[in-house]
Amino acid sequence: MKRALIHAALASPAVLLALGWQYGRLGVDPQKTLIWETGIWTINLLILVVLMPSAARWAHWPAVIGCRRAVGLWAFVYASTHFLFFVTFLLGWDIMRLGSEIVERPYVLVGFNAWLILLAMAVTSTRGWVRRLGRRWRRLHTLVYVALVLAVVHYGLMIRSDWGWPVAYASVVLLLVGLRVFRRGAPAPESAKRREMGLR
Amino acid sequence: MAAHLNRARPNRMARVTDRRSYARRRLLAGTLGLSLLGGFGALRYGGRFTARAGDATKPGSAQPQVGLAADDNSAAVDDPATRRLTLKHAATHYNNAYEFGWDKTDPHRRSGKFKLEPWAVTFDGLCRRPGTFGVDDLMGMPFSHLEERIYDFRCVEAWSMVIPYNGRPLRDLIEAVEPMTSARYVAFTSVLRPDEMPGQASPFSSLDWPYVEALTIEEAVHPLTFATFGVYGDRSLPQNGMPLRITVPWKYGFKSAKFIVRITFTEQRPAATWHLETPSEYGWYSNVYPSISHPRWSQATERRIWGDGKIERIPSRPYNGYAEQVAHLYPGSKQQYR
Repeated sequence: MKRALIHAALASPAVLLALGWQYGRLGVDPQKTLIWETGIWTINLLILVVLMPSAARWAHWPAVIGCRRAVGLWAFVYASTHFLFFVTFLLGWDIMRLGSEIVERPYVLVGFNAWLILLAMAVTSTRGWVRRLGRRWRRLHTLVYVALVLAVVHYGLMIRSDWGWPVAYASVVLLLVGLRVFRRGAPAPESAKRREMGLR
Repeated sequence: MAAHLNRARPNRMARVTDRRSYARRRLLAGTLGLSLLGGFGALRYGGRFTARAGDATKPGSAQPQVGLAADDNSAAVDDPATRRLTLKHAATHYNNAYEFGWDKTDPHRRSGKFKLEPWAVTFDGLCRRPGTFGVDDLMGMPFSHLEERIYDFRCVEAWSMVIPYNGRPLRDLIEAVEPMTSARYVAFTSVLRPDEMPGQASPFSSLDWPYVEALTIEEAVHPLTFATFGVYGDRSLPQNGMPLRITVPWKYGFKSAKFIVRITFTEQRPAATWHLETPSEYGWYSNVYPSISHPRWSQATERRIWGDGKIERIPSRPYNGYAEQVAHLYPGSKQQYR
């Protein structure tokens, strides 16, 4: 039940977009709306994925961690749909052009690399792969930070002149990456306290 | 018995959520739920869901649309009676006018405060009869008598529309103020009204206001260059650049200045807003050349927006299809006229 609810919530932007498309409610240029919104929702969910461990710790709510895979996989679904729409609407499935677009246009290159990272993470998200990769699994999945940074750079490269939204996203992402780096450098607060009390 | 209790208690206690954690969990779940709802409900889809394709003029119509006034006397390049037009609703609800905001729906949603009249345009610089003229003087005839021309409008973002413009050749206005022979360029300055144009007041916009654009004098007096006072027979559309814009159909759309309040004749090449902002992306001439790729958009094809929800992918043409009329203005390598 809970699981179904979580998936329903994560799917709701996609469902709304599909309905909007079906009923002609995505504006004058529905193709652009579809590409734009699937991209934005990829970033939203990646931010969520990165926030989840801290949120779980803060609320003493380990169950949150259990939903992380679902959120990550949905981020991959949005990213893949985004890529698919790009190839369909903007390239018209001209595969030869896809190659030159990736090489020529920085925003395509950056976005494509972000998608490759998400692809690798999605493939290795099964229990079997977690077991097989062992400690390396963790390192591989830390790449979600790299994917998130690339995604926001990709977003920024699309902007012609108005920086409001991308700056907001970039600040959030910078904060998250900063926190992660900071946490890694400092000893965990728990162990620091214990050391202080001579309990080590 | 006592041993049993002792064993059970710690486990049971561990399973109970303390008050603070419970509050935090509720807060977390609540924030997440609200932001998910608010995120796409109000913020991101707000404007788009109200702009339904084609719901203003001809609801549900997927038929090819026919020109408004089939005026056989008009000197339009294309015969208005047979050309399929983009629906008016699309051409007036999907615009780039950064004065009102970056989103394509901003120009129609956020232009409510804009005052279309009174409107005056100052002609100055290297001309013999400078002066300031009201927009009615510039039309020189009742609005309904103006010529209608159907042009392909090509945005640098690789989408296009087919739009009927109401106006007269810019050449008529230029001849009236008698430019001197030393005048080599014509500069256009758009209006500066941050109180009425929220995009001009935005702290996040990287553009300098007011918007400026320019043409060479040869381009400005070319018979295709059109002083435009309305579209679709409607002059009350700030989102389309009224009360006065120019339309230069063989260049990317941003070259066609909107809300013009000043036209200046110069000897030196004037500045142009987008060219100033990112010269590597927006050339000063910005003619439509499908073979010259833009750093963001391949210009080889364009997405033709008809407004009925269908979008057609078509190959782009040199000079946006007007090569026969204008190619002679650009001798030598195309690279210098990008």
